[in-house]
Amino acid sequence: MKVTLFATCLVDMFHSNVGKATVELLEKLGCEIEFPQGQICCGQPAYNSGYVKDAKQAMKHMITVFEQAEYIVTPSGSCATMFKEYPHILKDEPDWQHRAQLVANKTYELTQFIVQVLKREDLGATLNGKATVHTSCHMTRLLGAKSEPFTLLNNVQGLEVIPLDKSQDCCGFGGTFSVKMGQISEQMVDEKVSHIEDSKADFLIGADCGCLMNIKGRIDRKKSPVTVLHIAEVLNSQ
Amino acid sequence: MKTGTVHNSDSFLKNISSRLGRDTIEPAVTLPEWSYSPQHRVLENATQEELIAVLEKQCQIIHTDFVRVKPENTLEETLNYVIESYGGGPIITWDDPRFEQSGLSSLFERDDTSIWDPSIGDNNIPLAEKANIGITFSDITLAESGTVVLFSGAKKGRAVSLLPTVYIALIPAESIVPRMTQATSIIHNKIQDGDALSSCINFITGPSNSADIEMKLVVGVHGPIKVTYIVY
Amino acid sequence: MSIKIGEGPFHQRVEKGLNNPFMRGAVSSAQERFQQRKASAIEELGNWEEWRSLGEEIRQHTIEHLDFYLNQLSENIIKRGGHVFFAATAEEANHYIRDVVQSKNGKKVVKSKSMVTEEISLNACLEEAGCEVIETDLGEYILQVDDHDPPSHIVTPALHKNKEQIRDVFKAKLGYTKSEMPEELALHARELLRKEFLSADIGITGCNFAVAESGSISLVTNEGNARLVTALPKTQITVMGMERIVPTFEELDILVSLLTRSAVGQKLTSYVTALTGPRTEGEVDGPEEFHLVIVDNGRSSILGTDFQSVLQCIRCAACINVCPVYRHVGGHSYGSIYPGPIGAVLTPLLEGYEDHKELPYASTLCAACSEACPVKIPLHDLLHKHRQVIVEREGKAPVSEKLIMKAFGFGISSPALYQMGSKFAPMAMKPFVGENQSISKGPGPLKSWTDSREFPAPDQERFRDWMKSRAKGGRIDENRYRS
Ligand code: SF4
Repeated sequence: MKVTLFATCLVDMFHSNVGKATVELLEKLGCEIEFPQGQICCGQPAYNSGYVKDAKQAMKHMITVFEQAEYIVTPSGSCATMFKEYPHILKDEPDWQHRAQLVANKTYELTQFIVQVLKREDLGATLNGKATVHTSCHMTRLLGAKSEPFTLLNNVQGLEVIPLDKSQDCCGFGGTFSVKMGQISEQMVDEKVSHIEDSKADFLIGADCGCLMNIKGRIDRKKSPVTVLHIAEVLNSQ
Repeated sequence: MKTGTVHNSDSFLKNISSRLGRDTIEPAVTLPEWSYSPQHRVLENATQEELIAVLEKQCQIIHTDFVRVKPENTLEETLNYVIESYGGGPIITWDDPRFEQSGLSSLFERDDTSIWDPSIGDNNIPLAEKANIGITFSDITLAESGTVVLFSGAKKGRAVSLLPTVYIALIPAESIVPRMTQATSIIHNKIQDGDALSSCINFITGPSNSADIEMKLVVGVHGPIKVTYIVY
Repeated sequence: MSIKIGEGPFHQRVEKGLNNPFMRGAVSSAQERFQQRKASAIEELGNWEEWRSLGEEIRQHTIEHLDFYLNQLSENIIKRGGHVFFAATAEEANHYIRDVVQSKNGKKVVKSKSMVTEEISLNACLEEAGCEVIETDLGEYILQVDDHDPPSHIVTPALHKNKEQIRDVFKAKLGYTKSEMPEELALHARELLRKEFLSADIGITGCNFAVAESGSISLVTNEGNARLVTALPKTQITVMGMERIVPTFEELDILVSLLTRSAVGQKLTSYVTALTGPRTEGEVDGPEEFHLVIVDNGRSSILGTDFQSVLQCIRCAACINVCPVYRHVGGHSYGSIYPGPIGAVLTPLLEGYEDHKELPYASTLCAACSEACPVKIPLHDLLHKHRQVIVEREGKAPVSEKLIMKAFGFGISSPALYQMGSKFAPMAMKPFVGENQSISKGPGPLKSWTDSREFPAPDQERFRDWMKSRAKGGRIDENRYRS
């Protein structure tokens, strides 16, 4: 099966290890990976901040880059959501809207793709310890990918997935919110990290680099002993 | 009835029309068929006994005493028992033929019972205010929420269920319906038939309460502090 | 009081909120209780999503035909002998109400809870005219007694206060001598307010929903104060926002069911009262005269815009009760009587961006609000629309934001620029990178991040470059990406 990888800008610049794990994992599952070098940012930071015109340019570029794909897979719930939003944002330009719809239809967040399309649940991964999961807001509320990460993690050898108090609460990232409203963002991530610490988990696992960067940033600053992992890294571990 | 007055309706409504893309106020609108109707499925096939059971259970949640008249007792005995358990009168009731029809004439033989009386006007208010217990019938009863519906009128004062410390609702079993849906549909049909609507319809669900202080429930704020439903 | 409350710029108000542990404790535990209660109330229904869809459909239809329904409402009220005043502005509403009160020679006014009268500053207007105005909702009463402390929540306005603070206010102002137990505090208020109800000339209420088919207004309360306000004084004035209307009693059923469950997790509140006109022939309680004041005050300018769906709001506060930003900063930080997500959407629409331009940004767009809303208002989308308007029409976006985005090529539309931004990021950031490959003191806008968090150093090799060399057959170190 041919998969076109949309890496996202955070993976490209800050978390290449997540990209590498994604490639490896999908290859192990029998996919052939294509990576269009023309890909840039999906436009979400600009869009969310109100720069819709700028965002539309980025979006159109991304549509052109990805429209030939069979399946588009991305290791980010939030960026997958953005692709799904494209047709709505471009509703005033019917041609683009149509093309955007085709792109949206074949876009999957990584865990959704594995469970829904590849129909795999046990990937033979191993990780020893207790983990709790950050269910990112866009991934759960807007994309609707609620159960897939748990389905996959529950099959990881040696891993005990434990609940996280107030797991539905936002971690306080919110893109530019994290710097623009730094004082509020700090309180939110601090609360999130306290709940993670209280859970006594060894690992905090998530499927969105934005949230993870935020949570890890706070964990590292507090020198908490929790290891932050992207779910691709976990599923690819042996 | 004297008709009322209206001010500024034209300019106000025309502005809305034009904002909504119309030149004039729409002359007629038909309600669409809604895509969903979950309200009709609540307790849809429940029997009367089942509805009574739902009502009883809900009463625990709404801090209301639920009393069912036992086969060996009369409604009168049961009511008297409840009245005494609240320390007796003064009592105020609606002027309602259902009292007599339900065998409760003895209630009016007590000298601490007053009946809501339109002919004494404002003097009803202090009577209700001083009363320990207010008693009315329930016109419609909602099982799901534990609600009695009262249609007020000249002889059915609003204050009877409001000002006394204790409120007792007498609930004919046949007045019990699944939920608010059935009551609002009765009201809606009355309006469609051109019947005069009561100036005040109360849906009463247990005693007054407030959670305004630290979200802690306080039962009994401005309205009655205790409520008993008697089902017969 | 108008919509705007409090003083100082947004960030100062937030700072004050964040540094108020009493308030934060009170708000956070209240949110928890609200959420639990709502969750169990909707779980019982089993098909909450259908209820929400129905609620949304009814509200959309009603707003779409608002001119018709308001006209029908008004005609039905006149038939019943009531008076209707359509007020385009707050001033018009206030002046009409003041004139009615004065024509009745009214001295004492008792009020039940109403956000729209807060919005138009009715109390101030009546007090200036020499009336005594008494709020009778327990929460509102507490605030009024405490020198008009502004509300911080639209359902439980005194949410930010704990019981000890309330006890102290009662002691200082009301000669209260008992403990901080809510029962004792409430009983004291009951006794004082009962006298006021009995001696008031005028009763003023808000309106949860008017019913067009009959000219009725409905009031949804737990305390019973709205019943007293409408049963005892000889004159009743009801003030409603023009969008608070349903076509018939059958839709009232749905919206009240959604409201009570979403607001307080109850199947119904203690009292839902439907009032139609003044008292009828022979009745001795209820008002002799009934006035309905229908307020626009900026609402009509929302019609026909991208923001129209905000008029679906039934003021249940479910969005406020789930909002993590609200939890930390509290209601007063919003600088509006409408706080939380609904406030952040509505306030700039009613009062303009000038004083409220930060509000749309006080959200991570996490969509918890949209998910909670019983009439499916896409609140996070509307917050986003505000940002778009601010950037594109008002040109008020902050510089820091542009900087941070451009710095890394986020959202950059041109591939060349993206390439450049991302490629040079490692070099540009190098001076700030400490051990552990992270940045502890970031430059410029990053500082706000690194004040509380580490920021990762850009990878030396971008993922795309790794992919490129991999495609060329470059060897991959199997262990390099394991942490
Ligand atoms: S926006 Fe929705 S959730 Fe918020 S107060 Fe209004 S109706 Fe309730």
